[in-house]
Amino acid sequence: MIELIFRNLKFYWRTNLAVVLGLAIATGVLAGALMTGESVRRSLLQLAVGRLGNTVITVSGRQPFREVLAGELKGVPMIQMEAIAQHQTSGRRAAKVLVFGVDDRFWKFHGWAGEAPSARQVVLSEALATELSAADGDSVLLRVEKPSEIPQETLHGRREDASRSMRFTFKGVAPEFSLEPRQGAILAAYVPLSRLQQELDVASKINAILLPETANVQATLRNQFALADVGLRLRPIDNCQCVQLENGAGLLTDEQVKITLAEAKKLGLRAQPILTYLVNFTANGTRQFPYSLITAMDLPAFVTAKTKNTPIVLTDWAARDLGAKVGDIISLESFIWKQEGRLVTETHQAEVAGIVPLNGGPGDRGMAPDYPGISDSDDLSQWNPPFPMDLNKVRPVDEDFWHKYKTTPKMFVPLAAGQQWWGSRHGQVSGIRIYPQDARFEAALRRTIDPVAAGITVSNIRKETLAASTGSTDFGEYFTYFSSFLMYAALILAGLFFKLGVDQRLKEIGLLRSIGFSMAKVRWLFLGEGFVLSLVGSALGSLFAIGFAWFILFGLRSWWTGAVGTKALALHISPEALAGGAIGGLIAGLIALLLSLRKIPAATPKGLLSGRVDSALPTHPLLLIALAAAFGAIALALLGAAAAGRIPNSAGFFGGGVCSLISLLICFRLWLGSAKQAAVKGSGILALVRLGMRNASERPVRSVLSVALISSATFLLISVDSFRHSSHSQKLDTTSGNGGYALLAESQTPIYHNLDLPDARAELNLQPAIFASWHITSFRLKPGEEASCLNLYRPGNPKVLGAPEQFLRAGRFSFSESLAQSEEQKNNPWLLLIADSVNGAIPAAIDFNSMEYVLHKKLGDEITVSGSKLRLVAALSDSIFQGELVIAEKPFLKAFPESEGFRFFLLNGPEDQAPKITAALEEALADAGFDASPTEDKLARFHAVENAYLSTFQMLGMLGLLLGTVGLSAVLLRNVLERRRELALLKAVGFAPLQLGWVVFAENGLLLLMGLGIGLAAAMLAVAPVIKGNGASILSMVKLLGLVLFVGLSSALLAMRAAIRSPLLASLRSE
Amino acid sequence: MLVVSSLSKEYSSGAGPVRVLDGVSFELHRGDSAAIMGPSGCGKSTLLHILGALDVPTSGTVTLDGQNPFALKEAAQALYRNDRIGFVFQDHCLLPQCSVLENILAPTLIAKSDSGVKDRAKFLIDRVGLASRANHKPGELSGGEKQRVAIARALIRNPILLLADEPTGNLDEATASSIANLLFELHNENRTILLTVTHSSDLAARFPIGFRMHNGILARS
Repeated sequence: MIELIFRNLKFYWRTNLAVVLGLAIATGVLAGALMTGESVRRSLLQLAVGRLGNTVITVSGRQPFREVLAGELKGVPMIQMEAIAQHQTSGRRAAKVLVFGVDDRFWKFHGWAGEAPSARQVVLSEALATELSAADGDSVLLRVEKPSEIPQETLHGRREDASRSMRFTFKGVAPEFSLEPRQGAILAAYVPLSRLQQELDVASKINAILLPETANVQATLRNQFALADVGLRLRPIDNCQCVQLENGAGLLTDEQVKITLAEAKKLGLRAQPILTYLVNFTANGTRQFPYSLITAMDLPAFVTAKTKNTPIVLTDWAARDLGAKVGDIISLESFIWKQEGRLVTETHQAEVAGIVPLNGGPGDRGMAPDYPGISDSDDLSQWNPPFPMDLNKVRPVDEDFWHKYKTTPKMFVPLAAGQQWWGSRHGQVSGIRIYPQDARFEAALRRTIDPVAAGITVSNIRKETLAASTGSTDFGEYFTYFSSFLMYAALILAGLFFKLGVDQRLKEIGLLRSIGFSMAKVRWLFLGEGFVLSLVGSALGSLFAIGFAWFILFGLRSWWTGAVGTKALALHISPEALAGGAIGGLIAGLIALLLSLRKIPAATPKGLLSGRVDSALPTHPLLLIALAAAFGAIALALLGAAAAGRIPNSAGFFGGGVCSLISLLICFRLWLGSAKQAAVKGSGILALVRLGMRNASERPVRSVLSVALISSATFLLISVDSFRHSSHSQKLDTTSGNGGYALLAESQTPIYHNLDLPDARAELNLQPAIFASWHITSFRLKPGEEASCLNLYRPGNPKVLGAPEQFLRAGRFSFSESLAQSEEQKNNPWLLLIADSVNGAIPAAIDFNSMEYVLHKKLGDEITVSGSKLRLVAALSDSIFQGELVIAEKPFLKAFPESEGFRFFLLNGPEDQAPKITAALEEALADAGFDASPTEDKLARFHAVENAYLSTFQMLGMLGLLLGTVGLSAVLLRNVLERRRELALLKAVGFAPLQLGWVVFAENGLLLLMGLGIGLAAAMLAVAPVIKGNGASILSMVKLLGLVLFVGLSSALLAMRAAIRSPLLASLRSE
Repeated sequence: MLVVSSLSKEYSSGAGPVRVLDGVSFELHRGDSAAIMGPSGCGKSTLLHILGALDVPTSGTVTLDGQNPFALKEAAQALYRNDRIGFVFQDHCLLPQCSVLENILAPTLIAKSDSGVKDRAKFLIDRVGLASRANHKPGELSGGEKQRVAIARALIRNPILLLADEPTGNLDEATASSIANLLFELHNENRTILLTVTHSSDLAARFPIGFRMHNGILARS
C-alpha cells in the first residue's frame, strides 16, 4: 500500500506539485503571519529594552528629592524632564524632547563610549541632532517646566515663571535612552546634572534614580528616605517650645495631616494644625491695613466674647491700627486662585471676639511657611509675589511692622473658617505645631510615612517594558486575519487540484474497486497520498513563511509604515511560529483534501470505470432552498438590527453581507441545477453562450468554488475599501468625531489661565479682536502613554484628560455605546462622567477604537491609572479622543493632584480664521510649547493608521485574488484539457476558432460575472451604511471591480486561447 | 463531385520523414459510396481526416464541388466543414453534457439561421430510431445508440460528403449491420458522397466502390 502511495505520488507528480504548492502557500502564509507578529513583538522589545540600557529599576519622584538617596540606594542619579529644544541660529524647534540631567555615573552605568557632557555642553540623540540640524559647537536652547514645590494653582504659585530657558553647546551624539517605550525615534538631550540643578534651583536634588537588578529597593528606600525627600520638614520654633511640620508646597496634604495627628496622639504630644494665609486688605469700616498674614487655628483660649458671626481675634497692633474693638465687623479681602483658572478677590467678614497682644500672644513669625519672594524680603516694598500688589497702599507703619515682626500674623480666625475660606485641593493646613519638642516624633513620622505613597515611585521598569512590548496590537493575529483570504484561496486551490487529480484517476479507482479494494481502502490510499502531500506542503510552506514574513515586514517598513510608525522592525525567525504554521497548514490541508474526497464513495465501480462521476453535490434542491432562505433571513435580521442600532454597524452589516454572500452562492448552485435542464438550442452567439453555460453547470462543484473564490474576493476588497477613511476633510459637526471643534491644541507646559476668559486673554496678550468669536475649552491632562493606534506598545499608564463640566453638559461628539441608564444620559452619555463613582472607580469615556483595539477592554471594565481606578462607561465613535481617557475635572483633581493647569484645548470658531488663530496662539504661548492644529489633522493621523491596515488587508487580499486567479486559470485550463475531445469535435463539425472561443469564454465569463455580481451585491449590503455615513469612494470601488474583472477576464482569455490552440486531431484521438 | 489529386502526407520523425499518403488520386460523384480497407497504420484515417479538412495534406489537392478547403482561411474552412462535411467517428464523440437532441443539433449552433433545424433533427432522430431517447444523455445510451446519434449529427446540415471512420468498429455483428443499413439508407435519401474506412470485409463488400490502401498508396480493389 505504502509503495503504491509513493508510486502514485511520483506518477502524478504534476498534479501533486500543484497541490503541494497550494498547501505550501497556505502554510507559509499562516506561519508567516504568526512570525510577523513575533517579529514585531521582538523588534518592539529590542527597541524598548535597548533604550533602557542597563536600567532594571527606577525610583522617581513627583517632586525632586535628595541626590544622596541615589548613593544610599547605589543607583545612578538623574533629572528627567520634557523640553522644547531650539537650534539658536536656525530657529528650528523640536517639541516633546526628553531632557536628562546626568553625569559620568550615567555614562558608565550604560557602558557608553566617550564622556558625559560637562559645563554647558549638551549631547543629543541622533534623531534630535538631525531634527535640529545641529553641528558641533552650535547653541541649543532647552525650555523646560521649572519644578516648583509650591503648587502653581495656589495663591503663591509662580505661574508666570513656570518655565526656564537654558542655553547649551552641542557636543555630539549619544545613544537613545528612554524609560517610556515608544516606537518612534527618541528626541533626547543629555545635559550635565549639576548644571541643570543650578538652572532649576534644585541644588543637590534629582527626580529619578536608575538601578540595575537590585533586591529590596523598597525596603532600602523606606530605611534611607528623609522627610525632605517627600517635601516635609520639621522646624523647631523655640519661642513656643514646639516643632512645626511643614511641606515645601506650603500646604500639608490631608493624608500628611492625618498621619501627623495620629503619631502625635500616640506619643502623647499635643498637635495644633494651623493655616496661615495672606490677606490683601483688612478693614474696619474706613480704616484698613494692607498685606497682612492671618492664621486660622483653634481659638477658644483667646475668644473673650461670644459672637453672632465668625469670630476673629486681633492682635493689639491690628486692633489699634483699625480702631477696632470687640464686636466690630472686620472685612478680610484676599486673593483666591480658582480651579477654573483665574485669580479672584474674595471678601469675608468676621466679628472681633478678642484682642491679644502681638508680643507674647498666640502668634509668631514661624507660623507662616516659606514663600519665596515674600518671607525672605527685608522690606514690604521689596516683596516679589506671584500676584498683583499695590505698593501705594503700603504705609510706613506697615514697613515698620515688617521690619520688626516679619511674617507674624496680625489676626486669628477659627481653623474651620480659615479652611473654608482659603483651603484648596492641595491642602487645608499650612503647618502642624507639635508640643513639646520631642526627638521621638520625627522618627515616628519617618516610620509611618510611606515614601511610595508620598510620591516616590519604585518601578521595575524592565518588567513593565517587557509587558508593554507584548504590544497593543497582536500583529500575528492581525496578519492571520489579513492573510485569511490568501490562505483560503490557497487551500481551495489545493483542494481543487487534489480533486482534479482524483477525477483524473476515477477509472483507476474503479479498477481498484473492481479488483477488490474496498472504498475504505481506496480512501486510505488517497488519504495517505494527501497526508504525504500535506507534510511536504507544510515543510515547504515553513520555508515560504520566512519569505512571507520578510515581505510583510518589508511592507510595514515601507508601504504600510503608517500602520506602525517605525522602521525598526526586523525579521525574527521563530521556531514556535514555524511549528504553529506548519501544524495549522497540515491540519487545514488535510481537511481541504478530505473534503475533496468525500464524493468518491457515492460512485459505483461501473461508474468509476466509465471515468465519469456526477460531481454535483448530492444535496436535495429543497435543502438548498431552505439553506439559501435561512442565510438570507439571517442576513436580513442582521442588517435590520444594525439599521435599528441594536447591534454595532460593522458587525451587523458585515455579518449581513457575509450571510447574503453565502445565500447568493447557494442560489447560484440552485440556478446551475436549473441551467442544466435548459435546452442548448438556437444558433449564433446566444446558442454558443447556452452551450458554455451548460458546460459550467456540468461541474457544479468546480463552478461554485470558482464563483465563491471570485465573489469572496470581490466582497472582501469592496467592503473593506468602503471602510477606508476619506482623505477629504470632515465637516465641523457637533455630533461628529471633531465635536464641531475646528482646532485642537496641546501645550508642553501647563497653562494656568482659562483661555476662554477675557482677562486671561488680555494677560496673555491674546488680541481680543481676533479671538472674539472663538471659544477655547481647556482640559487638564495627566501625562501618560498614548492610548491610540499610534502607539504599538501596550499602554500601561494611559493619558487622562480632565474635562470641564460645561463641556460635558454640552453633549458634543457621538458615542458608539455607553452604560447610560436614564434618558438624559442616553441623549448625552458625557453625563455619565459626572455621575457617582461605582466602587470608588471614576467613570471614564474612551474612544471605541482605543478601548477595543488598544486597551482590549469593554464597557464596565476598570483600569488603574497612577493608582486611581477608572471605569469605562462610554465609548466615543471615531473621535479626536483616541489617545486619551476622559474623566470629569472634579474627580481628576482628586485623583491626579500633581497634574496642574491645562494642557489640552479644543477651539471652536469660524473655520476661515483657524490659521490666524493658530498662529496667534502659538506665538503668544510659545514658551509653553503651545501647538495647535486642525482637529481634522488629528483624525487624519488615526485614519491614516486605519487606512494603512486596510491597505495591508487589501494588498494581501489582492495577493489572494492573484493566487485565486492563477489557480482559476489552472482550473479552467484543466477544464479545457479535460474536454479537449469535446472541443475538438465541435471543431470537427465546423466550429470556427472564435466560435469555439466563445463557448469557453461564455463558460468562464459566466463564472466571472456571477462571482463579481454576487460579491458586489453582498458587498453593497455590507457597506450600505458606510456609503451613507462616510461617503465611501465609488471610484475606488469601480477601480477594484475593474481589477477583479481584468484578472478574471485574463484567466478566461487564457483558457479560451488554450481551447483555440488545442490541436484538433490529437485532441480527437486523446483519451 | 469529390476530386482528390496526387494527395501526399508526410510526418517528420526522429528517423526522418514518414510518408503516410503517397500520391492518392480518385474521384467520387454525388450518390457514390465507397469503402477503404487496409491494415492498421496504412493511412486510411489520415486520408479521411484530410478529406474532412481536419488535417492538411503535404501536397496534392482536394476539391469538393470545385472548392479546395485548404485554400480557405481558418474560419471559412470551419464553415466548409460545417456546411459540406458530415463525420462519423468510430467512438461517436458525443458531448456528454448534452442530450441526444442537443448533440444532433450541435453543428447548427453556429449556423446563420436555425429555421427548420429542429424539424430536421426530429426527422433524423426518428430515422435513427431514437425518438424515445431524445432527451437522454450519451451516458445513458448503448454503443449502437450512440453511433446512431453520431450519424444523425453528421447529417443534420445536409452535407455533400459523409465520412465515416470505422463506424461499426466497436459494435457487435447485429448492431454493426443495423448501423450499416442506416448509413446506406440515409446516404441514399440524402444523395451524399459516402466514404467509409473499415476493417470489416462484410461492410466493405456492401459498397459499390472499394479501395485498398497499403503503405499510403490507394488502389481500386
